[in-house]
Amino acid sequence: MTRSPKIGEIVLLVMVLFACTARAGEYDFDIPGIKKRPYEIGGNLETRGILHRLNRHGLLYKTKYYDASESATRGEFHQILELNGRVLVGPLRARIKTHSEYVETYRHHDLDHELYEAYLTYNTSPAFTLQTGKRVFKWGKGYAWNPVGFVNRPKDPEDPERDLEGFTALGADFIRSFGPAGLQSLSFTPLILPVSNHINQELGESGDTLIAAKLYLLLYDTDLDFMVRLGPRRPEMYGIDFSRNLKENLEVHGELAYLRGYEHKALDDGGKLASETSNAFSFLFGLRYLTASDTTLIFEYYHHGEGYDSGEADRFYSFLDQSCRNYLDTKNQQQIDRAGKVRQAYLRDKNFMKDYLYLKVSQKEPFDILYLTPYITLIANLNDGSFSVSPSATYRPVTNLELTLRTIFPIGGSMTEYGEKQDRCRMELRVKYYF
Amino acid sequence: MKKVLMVAVLIFFAAVFPAFALDGNDILKKVDRNLNPETFEMYRKLINIEPDGSRKEFVLYTLKKGADRVVSLFISPASEKGRATLRVGENMWLYIPSVGKPIRITSLQSITGGIFNNSDIMRLDYSAEYNCEKIEERDGQYLLHLKARTRTVAYDRVKMWVHSEELLPAKLECYAASGMLIKTLHFKEIKDFDNGIVRPAVVETDSPLHKGYKSVMIFAGIKRKKLADEVFTINYLSRVGNLR
Repeated sequence: MTRSPKIGEIVLLVMVLFACTARAGEYDFDIPGIKKRPYEIGGNLETRGILHRLNRHGLLYKTKYYDASESATRGEFHQILELNGRVLVGPLRARIKTHSEYVETYRHHDLDHELYEAYLTYNTSPAFTLQTGKRVFKWGKGYAWNPVGFVNRPKDPEDPERDLEGFTALGADFIRSFGPAGLQSLSFTPLILPVSNHINQELGESGDTLIAAKLYLLLYDTDLDFMVRLGPRRPEMYGIDFSRNLKENLEVHGELAYLRGYEHKALDDGGKLASETSNAFSFLFGLRYLTASDTTLIFEYYHHGEGYDSGEADRFYSFLDQSCRNYLDTKNQQQIDRAGKVRQAYLRDKNFMKDYLYLKVSQKEPFDILYLTPYITLIANLNDGSFSVSPSATYRPVTNLELTLRTIFPIGGSMTEYGEKQDRCRMELRVKYYF
Repeated sequence: MKKVLMVAVLIFFAAVFPAFALDGNDILKKVDRNLNPETFEMYRKLINIEPDGSRKEFVLYTLKKGADRVVSLFISPASEKGRATLRVGENMWLYIPSVGKPIRITSLQSITGGIFNNSDIMRLDYSAEYNCEKIEERDGQYLLHLKARTRTVAYDRVKMWVHSEELLPAKLECYAASGMLIKTLHFKEIKDFDNGIVRPAVVETDSPLHKGYKSVMIFAGIKRKKLADEVFTINYLSRVGNLR
């Protein structure tokens, strides 16, 4: 005797079949991008809007905007396009990175094109590579500062991950790997950096040639680098850095640099900019700590040996103050021009005094909001007690799109680094799309 | 006659209690070799799935040599392309093209967001990181109680359920030193990758710390490959893509 299926059984069968079908298609096993191409092209497009709330009592504002109308806020707009290209032909690899930026401020608008990188590498085995061209080098282990970054462009501690332009060099990279204990690996990177009217002008005068080298060791699970840079008309630079994981959530790092024969420009008692040759040690100690709740702390202490002491900084601010007063009394443009020159000499480095602290606390995906990372950054000048606080957040809601909101509040009294900044606060919104 | 009897008894015990011939650490080593050869390349797709069903996908090219050296390169999406991570023992570094230098990272961080952390993505052989303290056998599976060999291993304790015939993992529960369950990994879809490699092609993970979220890893193109030791050094991180 046969029995015809009941409706319930048919529905159940359909559901089972549907479930099986759904399960078979649960994941797509086709992985895109496996097939390798000899060339690649990509890049990113970024829109950046900045709102400045100006510190009209600050000396840096007064010496820069002495002729401006009394406006409390100013806007700034940047449109940035970066293109990356890579070609691989046998052991030869070419890479290029361009940076085009349109800037619009209340004073001007400008379109600028820069070649950040354009270099060739040749390697017949992983143990040896030759390289030539313009390339970004990032020496040092510090996050906010790199006293041993002898071939780096200077970083902005308020934006340390920002892309920077490279230097032109001819170099090589030798790598040797050893056993799992003791000396685990070693690499040696020598560089020759020529200076001409078109390349590396920041490193000397046309015709000069600088030599730099870095020896890296992975020794007893510790990264160790020894570096040197030598060349005419610039200080001799010697450095060492290290980095090590102490626990599964704790990393420590440090840098020590010795500069022999650097030029220290400072105002003398007569208000003149005098220059003397000096030697200095700079160092940095830092750690990176991750808590069980996915909070990351980056802490760094930086001693800037070439920086200005409190007495020199006081003379600098007094000079700017007096120049502004003289200009207001006499309208003599020379007062402002001189102040500008002194300001340029003192503020050559992003942080121009001796001792600084950096603290960044970031929380990954709070309240289960995936791809959101709020963070707060503190940079403190230990010599004058001023500091800046920067509550910010990054959000990557969809693939290849990154939104960043940054606010920066410099805080300090008069005659202090952050108290005299030209902004009372700054707010930035960045929208970046990768392709 | 006595010798013959003793040999017969030994053969009997060996045949009746085959599990006694293996201890937990032997099983763990076999699981490692069944999951992948000692030196190989592979591609992986990582998918982070949110409670509302929306997804984020990453594709990685990975090379591994020996028990404790692994390097991974992101080949998509565009925002992550060129990022490379290197692990040598418990040392881990991340190279981001825009940052331009390798920085040390810790195993508990996550470079992709979602539930997989760096130690899941840059996994070494289980036998290199864990010691089996206890083994149980139930329902055709071994349950291995694993304890981290050092304090720098991401999970202090792991419970691993292993299919006793195939010696492939079925499920892992990962615990912090406090005893808190951090995440569970489910191994699914056993697939023949050719070259004698038969292993789960999918690993799903969920976590009581991220309720409703799920992360999935899909494996493809697992192949044996000869690799120089120098590939697993920080100076080579920016050039890993040359080996594809």
